[in-house]
Amino acid sequence: MTHGSRPPGIAWWLLTPALLFVGAFFLLPVLALLAGAFHVDGVPGLSRFTEFFAEPLHRQVYGRTLRLAGLATLVSAVVCYPAAMALVRVAPPWRGLLTGLVILPLMVSPIARTYAWIVLLGRNGVVNAGLQGAGVVDAPVGLLFTEGAVFVGLLQLMMPLMLVSLVSALENLPRDVLDAASTLGANRFQTFFRVVLPLTQEGLIVGGTLVFTGCVTAYITPAILGGPKVLMLETLLYQKVNVAGDLPAASVIAVLLLLTTVAVNQGLRRIAR
Amino acid sequence: MNKTLLSVLAAAALSLATTAARAERTLVLSTYGFNNAIFKKHVYDPFETQCGCKIVLETGNAAARLSKLEARKDNPNVDLVQITDFLAGEASAKGLLQPIDFGKLRHLDEIHAFGRDPLGNKEAVAYTLYSVGLVVRTDKPSAKVASWKDLWSPELKGHLMLANITGNQGLAQLFMVDRVFGGNTPDKAAGFARLAEIKGHTVTYYTQSAQMTAMYAQDEAWVAPVGRFSWLNLKKTGKPLAWVVPQEGQVGMMNTVSIIKGSKNVDLAHQLIDFWLSAAVQKALADELADSPINRTVVPKPEVQDDLTWGKAQIDSLVFMNTAEVLRERGNWVKAWNQMVAK
Repeated sequence: MTHGSRPPGIAWWLLTPALLFVGAFFLLPVLALLAGAFHVDGVPGLSRFTEFFAEPLHRQVYGRTLRLAGLATLVSAVVCYPAAMALVRVAPPWRGLLTGLVILPLMVSPIARTYAWIVLLGRNGVVNAGLQGAGVVDAPVGLLFTEGAVFVGLLQLMMPLMLVSLVSALENLPRDVLDAASTLGANRFQTFFRVVLPLTQEGLIVGGTLVFTGCVTAYITPAILGGPKVLMLETLLYQKVNVAGDLPAASVIAVLLLLTTVAVNQGLRRIAR
Repeated sequence: MNKTLLSVLAAAALSLATTAARAERTLVLSTYGFNNAIFKKHVYDPFETQCGCKIVLETGNAAARLSKLEARKDNPNVDLVQITDFLAGEASAKGLLQPIDFGKLRHLDEIHAFGRDPLGNKEAVAYTLYSVGLVVRTDKPSAKVASWKDLWSPELKGHLMLANITGNQGLAQLFMVDRVFGGNTPDKAAGFARLAEIKGHTVTYYTQSAQMTAMYAQDEAWVAPVGRFSWLNLKKTGKPLAWVVPQEGQVGMMNTVSIIKGSKNVDLAHQLIDFWLSAAVQKALADELADSPINRTVVPKPEVQDDLTWGKAQIDSLVFMNTAEVLRERGNWVKAWNQMVAK
């Protein structure tokens, strides 16, 4: 802190409303939830988790959730780095416009966006028409209600978050380091991997965490594009709460979601170091 | 301000408050939250005028409302609950309901016999019903469907849509399939075995009515088990669709109303139930397509008759699930279902 002249007391007073709010409406409920998942009939233990994972379906659902979220994070990073690098080179007025266009999908209701995928991926949809027209397939193929459909839906939903994170990281990158790198004889790949990537890794970590967390916790996309055939943790959680009334299993899922996202965030930081 | 004026004002305020309290008895109804404007017009507003009381609604999905009722069990803030019959059974098993005094319901005899006491302990009365039958495309091979067993036809492959077990239509479908293939065990093993056979034919297992309608509109689905309340929206898709009453019958589902144990407005609660069951109210609700009439004497206006669960063909075809069995086994069915679908 550079403005250390103020007494710390005031800072605490200023923080109090926010702390009270977060404490009462977020931290306490989360702690209660965690406590519930690790207690069985009042005795601390992990049996809820062992019971949960004893079921093959639950393992399958957890594996699928990790796989799709991980893949979406990876693909969005690979696709967004070049896009972000191009975007920061655009002159400011246009950059604002392009960034706006990138963020635009975030402003469309996820339900409308997801239903649009039903139209696109349907039997009479554009994708099937294209595949048939190109002679790839003879008859319409079932694209909806598959892992692929969920993946595409999630990728579209979450990619802007990665792009925006990378753009802000790249904007803070001093322009002359690229020139310096090339002056010193680095080719484009070397420049990217040894200069750009290390200097913008914070953006990658933030973007990666946002995309991964978003994928793991998305409900509408897997519910509509995947359905019961492609259960993910969130859709399973919904079932446990609203249909089966199985709150212990639901709290296990909630804890898994939380721990998984924290673990991925920490993992990304470790890789960055 | 002088003292006299102050005391006069205080007295006036006090008397106002007491009259308000006497006039403003409130009756709290936990209900679905669909078609509220229609219910307000034909039930809540006229009933408020009649009883001099106020109706307050607590709306939301059935599971959430049920957990709220359970949480407030010792100090209930709700007087009446409207819910699906087997969930009323769940509320009853949890001790949340009290018996209804059938002697106070003048219109009880006018409703279908199966709706008068669906739980068998006088803790619930049906106020509406719907059938679960089949909706088919008439310009596709699905036009030939006349039985639940026709869903196994190979011609329907890729265009068969089933209801997911998480919804009431899914329960109805499991019950009916098990029944037509001779199943006789509570685990519905026969039904599950048969449904597993057509897993590869199934385009999806729908979870919401809106999604189901969209699947017909997109030409993805040709046939599916459907709740009658969706029929009007399906017709609006403009696709050539027909409602089929399968030869083995349709599943009858009821929504019931119950009085919460510990309610301080038991008299008003009975009045509201009776008012709701009356032919005038039932007809008004049917004419506006809010609910199909449980009252046998009601004849809805001709232009809506086909959109309701009404008339001899519909009513005679109904087969009812055993609510106690649904309640007891539903958790196991969901588990078995998830495993079948995931395999």
